[in-house]
Amino acid sequence: MSESSSKKSSKHDLKSKTLHCKNLHEYLKTLSSSVLDRLYIHPITCLAVYRELSEIAKHYIIRIIFVEQPVPQAVIASWLSKAYAKEHKEAVEALTELKIWKESSVTGGLPVWELNPVFKKHIRVALLGGGKNWFMSSHMEADTKPRDIAFLDAYAMERWECVLHYMVGSHQQEGISADAVRNLLHAGLMRCDNDGSAIITKEGFQFLLMDTAAQVWYFILQYLSTVEDKGLDLSLCLTFLFQLRFSILGKDYSTEGMNDGLLIFLQHLREFGLVYQRKRKAGRFYPTRLALNMAAGQNQSDVSIREGYIIIETNYRIYAYTDSNLKVALVGLFTNLIYRFPNVTVGVLTRDSIRTALRSGITADQIVGFLRMHAHPKMISVGSSILPPTIVDQIYLWEQERNRFNFSEGVLYSQFMSQNDFETLRDYAQDLGVLVWQNERKRTMVVTKSSHDDVKKFWKRHSRGNS
Amino acid sequence: MESEKSLLIVILDTSLTHDVMCNNKIRMSEYLNAVTVFVNCHVMLKPTNKVAVVVVDTIDCQFVYPDNNLSLTSLRQTTGQCEIFSQVEYSLRNNISNFISQNAKKDILTTEPLIGAACAKSLCYISRLERELEAGKSLNSRILIITGSDNECDKYVRFMNIVFTAQKQNVIIDVCSLEHDIALLQQACDITEGIFFKVPNLSALLQYLLWIFLPDPGIRKKLVVPPPNRVDYRPLCFCHRELIDIGYVCSVCLSIFCKFTPICTTCEVVFKTPTPLPGKAKKKKK
Repeated sequence: MSESSSKKSSKHDLKSKTLHCKNLHEYLKTLSSSVLDRLYIHPITCLAVYRELSEIAKHYIIRIIFVEQPVPQAVIASWLSKAYAKEHKEAVEALTELKIWKESSVTGGLPVWELNPVFKKHIRVALLGGGKNWFMSSHMEADTKPRDIAFLDAYAMERWECVLHYMVGSHQQEGISADAVRNLLHAGLMRCDNDGSAIITKEGFQFLLMDTAAQVWYFILQYLSTVEDKGLDLSLCLTFLFQLRFSILGKDYSTEGMNDGLLIFLQHLREFGLVYQRKRKAGRFYPTRLALNMAAGQNQSDVSIREGYIIIETNYRIYAYTDSNLKVALVGLFTNLIYRFPNVTVGVLTRDSIRTALRSGITADQIVGFLRMHAHPKMISVGSSILPPTIVDQIYLWEQERNRFNFSEGVLYSQFMSQNDFETLRDYAQDLGVLVWQNERKRTMVVTKSSHDDVKKFWKRHSRGNS
Repeated sequence: MESEKSLLIVILDTSLTHDVMCNNKIRMSEYLNAVTVFVNCHVMLKPTNKVAVVVVDTIDCQFVYPDNNLSLTSLRQTTGQCEIFSQVEYSLRNNISNFISQNAKKDILTTEPLIGAACAKSLCYISRLERELEAGKSLNSRILIITGSDNECDKYVRFMNIVFTAQKQNVIIDVCSLEHDIALLQQACDITEGIFFKVPNLSALLQYLLWIFLPDPGIRKKLVVPPPNRVDYRPLCFCHRELIDIGYVCSVCLSIFCKFTPICTTCEVVFKTPTPLPGKAKKKKK
């Protein structure tokens, strides 16, 4: 028998990699435990981490937060009715992963959960008060020209759309700094063309269709991964971000007492529209809704920042009530635009237009998600299913059309000497559940790549036994 | 992508006439601290969680949070507490102390806290918020009444009307009683599928609040909660305030009496004197 390690083609995986936006929990898991410990020193981070937990886990924590001794595991398990044991397990896992509590045992060998003392202490501070002041709320005089919420919203959106504009290639380089461009390149959302100009990548297209809060969070995550190279302290920056998240919209905060690193960080945030500052040296800043909604997730964001503008009819027509070039360009990613009026653009969804989008790396999920997110209030108020079901189904069908092949990587075993040998090995692989394909007449089989070693070992043992 | 907001309205009984307060079973400051922390915990759970607090005593009832007069900039952080929480704490403390000192000067007319009125106010507040909601969003509201009162509410019909309105609006009424089993409020909880709970140990008030009343109705199904009490549905008669099984009901205002009265004491309608019921013997004559 010869075993040829010819890989079945896997490189041409048609299903392109979808852009995965980590939530806070996943992000924190990737951090080292020393960074995590440093983070828990700040009450505000404890609070942010707490908010990201599952509902069950939140209640577990709140029940034991004022209990001084460790709580037996059996007691906590009994809080949830038996039917939801799976959720209990998930909650326990999440809390252990984030090092919020740890397993230990008291005298007598009873297994208990012990709350991380640093976390416990500081979340109490966040809730009840005491401890050190935040580093952005030192006392100052009232602003002579206070900015209202509407102004901040407009400002934030304008800044953020500047970044997006740059990505869709409206060729207006103004208003976006080299730093931001570098970040876009680093995040893989854009890449340098041969002549040095940046062009958008597949991931970039997917990025455009995410909702604003997710976009900001993704962008900031990428930014944070480079933050230490710039000589800034990661835990300090994260803490500052969390403080922004829990600040109050329309209130001004002082920059007094912030160190140089943070001031640089603040200027970067200002560029993306997360905070508003009248002048670089103004000494005060206003957080905007972008900062407040950041990482809150789609369903949790308090107030959505923009009005929906898209109406879709069952005849595949799309009406986009907007005058913004950016929004039109976004809709144009997957529609054939027909008419353009001052306040409305009309397009039609066709098989070709959707396929063009799919080919550029966007998935049907993202298209549907985008349409749903930006649906006109009139469409939302009509019924429970926001989009016409026929349209949604058709978009998915168009996507499935492209996925007629399933590719899986494997190792080919062929040229067995006897039928008996072939069958032994095939049955072994089948029992393991790693057999991808087999043909008895040709004495050929394919097993998954990961189990190649196992099968090979078995074959060696088997052939040695025979000889 | 339907986002749900969860609104909790706490109706806080601060009347000082009750046994609980007078005999120092729990100090006012402890009581208020426990409630403040509880309210903050609700806000802490999710960013979409909203909260409102109404204080009530025997004279008046008043919203103390959200406080429209509180200016954003006047408050600067001095501790590590999160801003939203200190805002809640600040307005609760200020407004409740104002409320109590205001009412201390007035004459006390009844010994009953105006819980019914506070409920009605809360329901109006909820319906206003529901009207102002954006399309595609829904509001999950519940009311938690914390009271140390012992008497039965004397405005039975009015209170029951409020309870049924709450049921119709899908508002859950929970009651945390500091000392007594109050039949009327038990009925209110039962009708709106809320929880009635009498705190057995007042020094652990906060823990009880967090355990039983913090979970939203959605998650209550998953957590193990104390089994509901059996609810006594017998009403009180209006004349002697006693629980009765069978009584007389005014055909106009639905007041209940244990004995026949010629004039309804509530709506002053004049009844006919009851004639003996026609016997069955007469029919058999045919």
